[in-house]
Amino acid sequence: MSTSEQAAIGKLNTNAASNGTLFKLVIFSLSLGIVPLTSYYGSLHYLWNGNSTFAAITAIVAANIVLIAYIILSILEDKQSSQSPTRISAQALESKKER
Amino acid sequence: MSVCPPYAPFFGFAGVASAMVLSTIGAAFGTAKAGIGIAGLGTFKPELIMKSLIPVVMSGIIAVYGLVVSVLISGALTPEGYPLFAGFIHLGAGLACGFTGLTAGYAIGIVGDACVRAYVQESKVFVSMVLILIFAEVLGLYGLIVALIMNSKVAGGVGDICYS
Repeated sequence: MSTSEQAAIGKLNTNAASNGTLFKLVIFSLSLGIVPLTSYYGSLHYLWNGNSTFAAITAIVAANIVLIAYIILSILEDKQSSQSPTRISAQALESKKER
Repeated sequence: MSVCPPYAPFFGFAGVASAMVLSTIGAAFGTAKAGIGIAGLGTFKPELIMKSLIPVVMSGIIAVYGLVVSVLISGALTPEGYPLFAGFIHLGAGLACGFTGLTAGYAIGIVGDACVRAYVQESKVFVSMVLILIFAEVLGLYGLIVALIMNSKVAGGVGDICYS
């Protein structure tokens, strides 16, 4: 690989790492703590009228929804990032051929 | 032999503590072991890190199971009108959730470490990794279900037998 291709892919990796990844991870860590507790107490008072078993089931379903959302988000991000580096390397190869 | 001795809340609080402590031990082991594999993967392919953090998030879910059972049990503890029957049930519920969380976290850690290392070389390992992790987490869910079923026996308030 030439140095320009290496530099381009390196820059893409740092961009992908600094853009949204850390922010998404912080959001998911906070929601994994906040969502079950708020759904437990909220559904205990407003949905189930004090039945604590149903409130616990609601909290568990909410926590699993956060988990499934994380899995789907990570699969989508991987599909996005796997399309763009192939375009950049294809452009670099074309520019080399034109010279 | 009284039905509601004053030392009955000891067993209730032991159930609360064991649910939280034991499931957190399992979640910590799962996070640590999977984190070793992710650190190894990160040196080769840093763009795969978001997908390889799934074992860590699943270990967090195991700790959330223990947290929900602790909150559920501690909501029913009172100093007056707390029969020993309720204390034993709360202890059993806490131990059921705690020990199953410990086993689920152990499985998630070892499977997460091995599968994340294999994901560097073969990308089709991802689907089987998620499937195995789901089966490992369902073990913790079984303990939670048993804890909920046990707790529902005293959820309606059985303090009346103290005063009969």
